[in-house]
Amino acid sequence: MEFKRIEVVTSLYKLSDLQKALGKLGVTGMTVIQALGCGVENGTQEYELEMKKTPELLPKQMVMLVVEEGLVEKVVDVIKKELYTGHIGDGKIFVSNVTNIIRVRTGEEGKAALN
Amino acid sequence: MNNGKLGLPSVIATGVGLIVATSCLMSVGQGAGSLGITFIISMLMACAINITTALCLSELNALMPNLTGGLAQYTLASFGPFISIITMVGGYLVCNTIAGSAECAMFGNTLTGVFNTKIPGSVFCIVLLLILIAANLHGIDLFAKIQNVVAYGLIFSIFIMGIIGALKLGTGEVVEQPLVLTSNMSDIFSMVGLAFFLFLGCEFIIPIAPNVKNQRRNVPLGMILSLLIVTAMEIILILGMHNYTDWATLAGDAAPHVLYGISLFGEFGKYWMALISVFAVVSTVNSIISSLAYICAGMAKIGLLPKVFMKKNKNDAPFVGILLIGGAMVLINATGLSTTSQLSLLILIGCVFWMAAYCISSLNVLVFRRKMANVPRTFKVPFGPVIPIVGIVGNIFMIYNIASDTETKMIIYRTVLVIFAVLAVYAFIWVKKVMKRPLFKAYEVKDIMAMENELYHLVREEQKKSA
Repeated sequence: MEFKRIEVVTSLYKLSDLQKALGKLGVTGMTVIQALGCGVENGTQEYELEMKKTPELLPKQMVMLVVEEGLVEKVVDVIKKELYTGHIGDGKIFVSNVTNIIRVRTGEEGKAALN
Repeated sequence: MNNGKLGLPSVIATGVGLIVATSCLMSVGQGAGSLGITFIISMLMACAINITTALCLSELNALMPNLTGGLAQYTLASFGPFISIITMVGGYLVCNTIAGSAECAMFGNTLTGVFNTKIPGSVFCIVLLLILIAANLHGIDLFAKIQNVVAYGLIFSIFIMGIIGALKLGTGEVVEQPLVLTSNMSDIFSMVGLAFFLFLGCEFIIPIAPNVKNQRRNVPLGMILSLLIVTAMEIILILGMHNYTDWATLAGDAAPHVLYGISLFGEFGKYWMALISVFAVVSTVNSIISSLAYICAGMAKIGLLPKVFMKKNKNDAPFVGILLIGGAMVLINATGLSTTSQLSLLILIGCVFWMAAYCISSLNVLVFRRKMANVPRTFKVPFGPVIPIVGIVGNIFMIYNIASDTETKMIIYRTVLVIFAVLAVYAFIWVKKVMKRPLFKAYEVKDIMAMENELYHLVREEQKKSA
């Protein structure tokens, strides 16, 4: 069975809603990393007059989860709908391959390590 | 974050309260008085078209959530400032001012009828408006606490009186008359415009969406159920009116709800309906003056109206909008607006603007489906483009059938076109000279969302001052 890593960079106040939505989907685990970051706007706030010339890193959160390949589309769809506000700073989602998952305590690998 | 506290029943109650107004009862009276119970078909058609609009507005709200400027912001992102100003800023403000004026006139008619006074109804209207303008300028929402109570009182009264009348349980004399006055389809179609007035206002649920639990489901569902419940209430009322009020008398009366109350319960019915409708009218007009002033402020935020509309007085009230909207209503009512035909004409003129605004809203959905196909939507109107297209065709159909006779239609179209022409001149000058933007270039959604931020305007004010 194939697995994918989904990494979501988003603003601080969206985490709680995202957690609840992913929990309802049956996602069994996630890791949240406090981060600093910016996108093409270089950290410019939506109300500012001009775009910043040098990137300014803003506080963000990165949520990392691993799901079965078959669930990726559904999970990404839920994440997009949960994070969308139409404002700059809604976030980004990265999807990448995972070659294996191992549960340290039991040595289980693959899907068993997620259950 | 969704901190919504309102559940579906609250959304429905709010929706029904927002949609039902005393002037609707005049529409019911005139429609039923002209067609008999066949008016129900006109109502069902108008309700169906309004449901398509409710669904389209839900999708627009999903794309651009939590906005204060109303329908104008969606149109700004799809058709640009020129169309937005004409149809939404001007058109929408005009139709709401007209609706408020019609409500005021009903207030005057009710008092004149109940107290049998020689004082013209317009005097009562103007006094009421001056009181409400003064209260709003002082930042006082006179009816904040009792607004829901009086709205629900009106709904409850309509419902109960409808059932009592339909089941022939009233104390008045039962009238023997045919159920159907005409089943001619062109007569039915010509009344769809009047029936449309019964269902206006569901879009006012959108601003409360942030306070609704599970808003993605409950806002569209709440809007649809509100419209269906209003339909059911009005149908029961029509059946009651058939049993107790002569159709011809109903069609010609300027306060048919009071007439029905008298027919059903005599003096008690008169005072019951009069009391409830007076409070409901006052509450509705107060809401219109207050909410339109805030909508004007919202439109000024996105640059479609002069910034002066954003100014607030020491009581934190958007006084420019209050004075302008209230003043316009005073002017309209000072013309002595009171007879059924005058009120009907005014209501139908207002309806055309509203239908145009709803048409544009449905078009907005189609434009965004093309421009922003991949943007996530927490609500999407089902069945592809079918429902928006039905909404557009339905609203155009209602505009075409706005009145049964050609002469009245021409008066309505001419009035609407003159007002649109004036708005077009304002829009052209405003967009070219003040906003300095292309007339038809749509704004980016992210820019419109940014304009909701108070800091957006603060930063620009500071820049102007320092320049």
